[in-house]
Amino acid sequence: MRLNFSVAAIALFCATAGSAYAQDVDAGRRRAEACVACHGPGGNSTDPQYPILAAQTARYLYLQLKDFKEGRRAEPRMDPFLAGMTREDMFDLAAFFAAQRPRPGAFKADPARAARGKAKADEVLCTMCHLGGFIGQNEIPRVAGQHYAYVVKQMRDFKAGRRTNDAGNMASVSRTLTESDIEDLAHYLSGLY
Amino acid sequence: MKTSHALAGGFAFAIALAATSPFAQVAKKINVTQPQLTAAGGQAANWLHTNGNYAQTRYYPGKAINTGNVGKLKVAFVFQTEVVESMETAPIVVNGVMYLTTSYNHVYAIDAVTGRQFWHYKHKMGPVTTFCCGPNNRGVAVYGGKVFMGTLDAKLVALDARTGALLWETQIADPEKGYSETMAPTVIDNKVLIGTNGGEYGVRGFVKAFGADDGKLLWTFYTIPENGHEGVWAENDATGRNMKRDIAAEKAALAKDSSFYQTLGGGVWMNPSVDLKSRTVWFVAGNPSPDLYGAERPGDNLYTNSLVAIDLDKGSYKCHSQYIAHDVWDLDAVSPPILVDVKNKSGKMVPGVIHGGKTGHVYVHDRKDCSLIRFSQAMIPQENMWVLPTAEGARMLPGANGGVEWSPMAYVAGSRLAIALNLHQPMTYHVEAAKYPGGSKLWLGGAFKAIASEKQWGRVAAVNIDTGKIAWKHDTAQPLIGGGLATAGGLFFFGEGNGSFNALDSKTGKKLWSFQCGAGANAMPVSYTTGKKQYIAMGCGGNTQLDFKRGNSVFVFALGG
Repeated sequence: MRLNFSVAAIALFCATAGSAYAQDVDAGRRRAEACVACHGPGGNSTDPQYPILAAQTARYLYLQLKDFKEGRRAEPRMDPFLAGMTREDMFDLAAFFAAQRPRPGAFKADPARAARGKAKADEVLCTMCHLGGFIGQNEIPRVAGQHYAYVVKQMRDFKAGRRTNDAGNMASVSRTLTESDIEDLAHYLSGLY
Repeated sequence: MKTSHALAGGFAFAIALAATSPFAQVAKKINVTQPQLTAAGGQAANWLHTNGNYAQTRYYPGKAINTGNVGKLKVAFVFQTEVVESMETAPIVVNGVMYLTTSYNHVYAIDAVTGRQFWHYKHKMGPVTTFCCGPNNRGVAVYGGKVFMGTLDAKLVALDARTGALLWETQIADPEKGYSETMAPTVIDNKVLIGTNGGEYGVRGFVKAFGADDGKLLWTFYTIPENGHEGVWAENDATGRNMKRDIAAEKAALAKDSSFYQTLGGGVWMNPSVDLKSRTVWFVAGNPSPDLYGAERPGDNLYTNSLVAIDLDKGSYKCHSQYIAHDVWDLDAVSPPILVDVKNKSGKMVPGVIHGGKTGHVYVHDRKDCSLIRFSQAMIPQENMWVLPTAEGARMLPGANGGVEWSPMAYVAGSRLAIALNLHQPMTYHVEAAKYPGGSKLWLGGAFKAIASEKQWGRVAAVNIDTGKIAWKHDTAQPLIGGGLATAGGLFFFGEGNGSFNALDSKTGKKLWSFQCGAGANAMPVSYTTGKKQYIAMGCGGNTQLDFKRGNSVFVFALGG
């Protein structure tokens, strides 16, 4: 637990450091008003079909927005918001959400399933990319504390080839995961703070 | 949750303070000269290079701490940095001042005897960073009155060694295209040499030389030539084992498209060696991009997975020797090469260069033409080589981390032993078709996964470079990553992911001393002598790649504390 607190501190530091430069958190805050209905205040959504964006890495958020806009990731519900969005707008939004504090979701993870999920995560070497505590780095997303249902959906989509903007990495990772593995991992990840 | 916020708030405040508060400067003038750098391996006062000297032997000539008294080694001081994250630094010590780095490019100058901080530099990171394997930094180089560091946003910075003030910075490459820096630079003849990360993002690797005075680019050697990267269509690896390539299919693919040299990888992760007599720079180049999916890049993919020699003054090619052509396992060449005299095939001593491979072999080359003289016994189990990766995963040993990862070996001249830190991580190799995603996304072309039912462990192996035989081995509970240090006192120092920092008898491998750091001891140990007292320093901040427990401290030891 101690380690998780420490890495959370580092994540916040990075987010803060990043926001001081090309990205404008205040501009991002204003633009993020349009996101609240689905992603919640400060990116802390309560509806698990919408991902928690608070403390997500800025680089990941920017690249996902870009992928939505340029058609590499499909999500019709995002389309109206991306129509007039510039590169700077995306940077600002990404900076804003990266600087927000995540709040725990309502999902209650099953401890036994979470333990199996951790063992599977160790086996699949997830933290080599997602970093210790799954806090993410650069274009690799933070998944610590993400909604159970959202994590399950993304992994199913990678496995089924419905989401393909991962340069093949998550497709390869998820290929050998069973439905039960995916659920165990989601129990584990949703409980990480 | 409350605790987390409070800690995070405190951390942010501490960072703000560090960036704005005036810190004490180093009282004495710092001026590291070229003759000092050249002669670094023969003196015990300072630790002036990442790996001790230009030959990179990581052999410290002092023997005040030795096999007879190492049991009395105690902590002299602990220096705590502000960054709790993976620590791979090799502190540089100059006239009693230690320069150490942390993840995210912080540099500290401290008193090497008391641990008192002189200054703290925090790099202003640009908005875009792209790197794999953790936000690491492996240290600085010091020359004249300047401290040089490569950064995660692919810059080279020069700091005032007395104050930590930024003197100049230069952009080495574009971080949006996957370039970043974690290695320490090497300074020679007023040039700052540095390679690049990015083999996991489709970069075109290089070694560049910058002017130490102003950061101006002097030359670039690309590890991927525009023409000829297909090589000789080698069917076997350097040890003679068939790699199961479909060379006819590769040739057909190359005939259709050979433009991929721009994204073929070949990062250079660790310091080069420098042979001043022949004015040659020796380094190893890493894996091709994408790591596991070879169909995108037909040919031998020169000079990936190779030992390479280039001219110090012009950066022009001299020779190379490739270990694995058309690698699809990420079993690349990372650990820094060491320059030593070696016995050639006819038994004559000749200038040589050795490299500890991820394959688990120590390779011994002739410096005349890069040719391979011999390779050692495998230091760790090898099985099923070279089975091709599959979508569902094919088991092969060693796993993709090695063997010997970036971990620099130490060389003990008297006993002719190269001592290497090894991993044993059984893995399956998975391939996935993947087009170049533009440089901003990890591009592995698959994955490697550990095998839960198979135990992982580590091994210190001492290899006689004249025979290739393992003289002794010392096994550890966890895979090993980090540097080794040999001393004239007959000792070999190394750390483990469980926090144990150890001294072995370098002749026998017997464990003589151990200290628990409380976080992964995965940096690179160094030694120095100030006021007739020998010190050993080791960073203990854990490791991202193997997810060893993070910390933030450098421990410094001396006899009696």
